[in-house]
Amino acid sequence: MTWHVADEDLRAYARGELAAPLLWSADTHLTGCAQCRSRLAGAADPVALDEAWERLDAELDAPRPSLVERLLVRLGVADHTARLLTATPVLRRSWLLAVLSLLVMTVLAVHLVDRPALFLALAPLLPLGGVALSYGPALDPSYEMAVVAPMHGFRLLMIRTVAVLTAGLAFNGLATLALPEYGLLALTWLLPAVALTATGLALTPRLGPVLAPGLVGGAWLTLLVVAQSQAHSHSTLVPFTAAGQSAAAAIAALATVLLYQTRDRFDTRPAGGFVDGGAV
Amino acid sequence: MTTPPTTVTATGLSLRYGGTHALDGVSLRLTRGVTGLLGPNGAGKTTLLRVLATAVPPDRGEFTALGHDPGTSAGRLALRRALGYLPQTPGFHPDFTAFAFVDYVAILKELTDRAARHREVRRVLDAVDLADVRGKRIKRLSGGMRQRVALAAALVGDPGFLVLDEPTVGLDPEQRMRFRGLIAEAGEGRTVLLSTHQTEDVAMLCHRVVVLAQGRVRFEGTPAELTARAAGRVWSSAERDPAALAGWRTGTGTFRNVGDPPEGAHLLEPTLEDGYLLTLDSESRTVTA
Repeated sequence: MTWHVADEDLRAYARGELAAPLLWSADTHLTGCAQCRSRLAGAADPVALDEAWERLDAELDAPRPSLVERLLVRLGVADHTARLLTATPVLRRSWLLAVLSLLVMTVLAVHLVDRPALFLALAPLLPLGGVALSYGPALDPSYEMAVVAPMHGFRLLMIRTVAVLTAGLAFNGLATLALPEYGLLALTWLLPAVALTATGLALTPRLGPVLAPGLVGGAWLTLLVVAQSQAHSHSTLVPFTAAGQSAAAAIAALATVLLYQTRDRFDTRPAGGFVDGGAV
Repeated sequence: MTTPPTTVTATGLSLRYGGTHALDGVSLRLTRGVTGLLGPNGAGKTTLLRVLATAVPPDRGEFTALGHDPGTSAGRLALRRALGYLPQTPGFHPDFTAFAFVDYVAILKELTDRAARHREVRRVLDAVDLADVRGKRIKRLSGGMRQRVALAAALVGDPGFLVLDEPTVGLDPEQRMRFRGLIAEAGEGRTVLLSTHQTEDVAMLCHRVVVLAQGRVRFEGTPAELTARAAGRVWSSAERDPAALAGWRTGTGTFRNVGDPPEGAHLLEPTLEDGYLLTLDSESRTVTA
């Protein structure tokens, strides 16, 4: 052993007051260090000690937090929120790899034809799709249990939205770095991405989890086709001009207000159907 | 014997789905202990359980459970805090261990203190006899064990109202017996609504039974009362009696008939299944050998 649990931490552990991530370190260490276990026995009154042993016993069964989970806790995120964030269905490796592959191919295509619009058109759709899939029965196997849990449906939705948006925007950001020759223009996907995601979410209680993002994505592509048909060759498409960006910001703000106003509807009526169909 | 107090009261619950009445004015009362919900496929059992579990609101009608009215935000939240729900097809995150899955559900049930939550997860996994496989990935567990993991998740937080949707489907006889034992234990001191289409489940576990067909309650009472409906209406014959509403060949080679017996028929002691068959609509009760 290269280290041992500090006396103060050991006393806090015995009282059940040691917080994560120090708690996790202590759990792991106590499992393998007889010396610290013996110090723990001397550091606490018998009742508190029994509770500490019981807690340690339970911790031995608990899954080891993932790297991302531990990082989130170190950044100040509560451990239970970190667990919910990392359990977001569309943050599975297969999904992330698919998104990454799509972005790499798009960036290569942009270089090939010298048309950044290819990337700018796709990038806002990825967070929209990711967020749409992050709730509902399609990818969340325990969806039906989550629907009837006391945790407010909107809160769970926001936790997952933040997780997916962070991952999606980070990937898009990395892809942007691969397009330095387009300067700030390469970043003009950001506001449309936020606007599309917020609008998709705001319309979900009314239109459902498939139709709402589908319509929003369709509207985005239609807008781009119309803008393309009216643009001169190699000029910037309207959504990526200053006026277009301002409009995206306004839509994002409006949709966010609407989403907040309809937050309770995520709790009274599930946003999607159930795995086996059935009433919604 | 005194009647136990009513814990769940539903009045006129209706829900249309896909152009049909999944529920059509369902009214019922539940008390502590296990109540069986019997009905053929498509009777509306799962929809009724989803409504009572607050997964979906009814189009019409209302209900209260454990004194909470889910029609209000505060009532819905209070009921969800007192609810354990095992859906018909409980889904699992395939890479989760049994412990991790129940832990995840415990977080959704607002158990935020890590140490207390982990103690609770251990308690419920012990209660369903899964102490030895806590650290095993769910995808490596048998069907019966997975159902027990789902039951453990439903038991997190010691809920007063437990809604179980066909938990014994797909289990082999030994697993089914084991599961019945667990449900019986869970029913002590709790209100449990158990959906099933196995009359054996009801006969062995339930102090009350509700029969649902085509979205309507066809019977509500004790299993003995349901069985009594078939008194004098079950008889045996060498050939299937065409006048019988239902008839099937038994292990002895004779036919067991249910319906209005002919004069001089050899009457048999009725079972719960006989009473159930007689309670269903004539369209759905024709059973062939």
